[in-house]
Amino acid sequence: MPIKLMAASRRRPGLTRAEYQRYLEFYHGTIARQEPIKIKSYIQYHVIDGAFGTLADATHQQVAERDAVVELSFDNFRDMMRALEPDTPSAASQDGKFFADECTNIIVMAEEEEIPVANPIPRFNPGLGIVSGVGALKVMHYIMRDDEVYREDYYQYWREAHEEALEKAPYAREQLRRCVANKRCRINDNDGAARKHFKMVDPPVYDMIVSHWYDTIEQAGAFRQYVEALQASSRRFANWSKSFYLYTKQIVIIRDTPHS
Amino acid sequence: MLQNTPERAAQKTFRDWYASTKPKADRPALTPEEEARPFAKYYYDEIPAPDPAHLALMDKPCDPAKAIGPERMNDLLDPGDLEVEIGWCNLPNGAGFIANRMFYPGVSAEMIDWWFAWHPLEDLRYRIWYPPQHGGLMLSPEGRKRILDSSIPLAERNWGVVHHVTENCNCGMENIDIHFLSPKDFGFDMSRWKKPYVSTFAGGFGWAVTVNKTDESITAPALMCHIFRDSPQGLEHRTRFWMGYRLSGGKPELSLPPGVAVPVEAVQGLARHNVCEFTRFKSFLPRIYQEFGGRMEA
Repeated sequence: MPIKLMAASRRRPGLTRAEYQRYLEFYHGTIARQEPIKIKSYIQYHVIDGAFGTLADATHQQVAERDAVVELSFDNFRDMMRALEPDTPSAASQDGKFFADECTNIIVMAEEEEIPVANPIPRFNPGLGIVSGVGALKVMHYIMRDDEVYREDYYQYWREAHEEALEKAPYAREQLRRCVANKRCRINDNDGAARKHFKMVDPPVYDMIVSHWYDTIEQAGAFRQYVEALQASSRRFANWSKSFYLYTKQIVIIRDTPHS
Repeated sequence: MLQNTPERAAQKTFRDWYASTKPKADRPALTPEEEARPFAKYYYDEIPAPDPAHLALMDKPCDPAKAIGPERMNDLLDPGDLEVEIGWCNLPNGAGFIANRMFYPGVSAEMIDWWFAWHPLEDLRYRIWYPPQHGGLMLSPEGRKRILDSSIPLAERNWGVVHHVTENCNCGMENIDIHFLSPKDFGFDMSRWKKPYVSTFAGGFGWAVTVNKTDESITAPALMCHIFRDSPQGLEHRTRFWMGYRLSGGKPELSLPPGVAVPVEAVQGLARHNVCEFTRFKSFLPRIYQEFGGRMEA
């Protein structure tokens, strides 16, 4: 099963979001394309908007704001390690400091679980999807586990709450085109070298990032309806004050268009 | 219902359980509440020493060419023996391999199924199994609910349940999350899953890390397989560990960084621990089953 590395970063001091995203796409992305690594895909998700914590929080409880998530997919763990720890340091690994506030990176190694949706895109429609079955707006929902809840129960409770929330959010249920739960792999516990490299001190741990696809940015309100229903779940499984979601635009750096 | 019974009262939140593992690693004396449990006496048993000849087979590594990787787990369903039934080694890809075999006269598959469902409900139940090296065990609330669900056959109670174990496998006390699976989800060919080749199974995948975890600590994966079949010498228990592997998409995947091997000390340590804890198991299971077998509460 493919394994992914998902790195959420924010821009370094002195850069606007547009400058950061331009550098990330055109300079960093080009360097990555030139790296001789065995990679399945490298996608950048540029943040359009997002929300951190809940309306009940008086202030943010940790570093808020993310400007992009980069997602690298590998066929297996060993391919990922060969890419992350090459014999000679890669140009891409040295480039981050020029655009990102690296010590606040959030890095998650994850495996995917497809979650069925009621209304996937039924047929090719150039007015909606980027590729078959995938909408143009991707929402990345970082859900921090409540620290009293065991991981195995957290995944179960989220799934139950997710289904309940979609029942209570008919607009979201109708508009959600695809949903993938990216579950953190325990191998991620061994990322001490990366944390040291980026000078990351006690980075927050996210056991799951759920990706939701909608047709266009106009359906962002559907996710808002859904997330409020999810947060209202009677099931206690998440620390919503340290959870966040990002509305993103997909930039493909390396990937063959999937065959439908 | 078993409201307010010790089996339910043992439940801790994840945060409280995790904080409790360091003290548990010191194997403290039993609390007054634990002393009052009807099975506490087993904690004070004299622990039988393993057969020296058997333990000696774990002194040196076996020939890796005779070992099998997890992709050949279905060889365990063949009649007869495999080339290595007792031994350990590093496989050429760096993974750790362990095989062990024990015979249990007077023990049935039903007793095994009961034990694996009964023992995770309280720390003390796990500690009495092998007091020198077992620190404690916790389930999640949902795991506990399943283990106590009498509508599920005992042989299936652990499927999907995680045992959060604190244990010393000769490399210091570790917290090990053992995800128990059905034989099908573990990867066995169920078309071959029948007597006399197999009587029952307990296994899954685990992640182990020292109780004194730091940023530099390694959380290590392993596949664990306890498979049982009837034999003239009693129930035959065949253990296999594949250290360095995890299950990914239902398939074993080597999860060591390139060029890295599971340390020899970890492989041999677990192999020796396995011989010791199941030597104790052999004499202990018939007695405790006679007293508490067939039911969950005590």
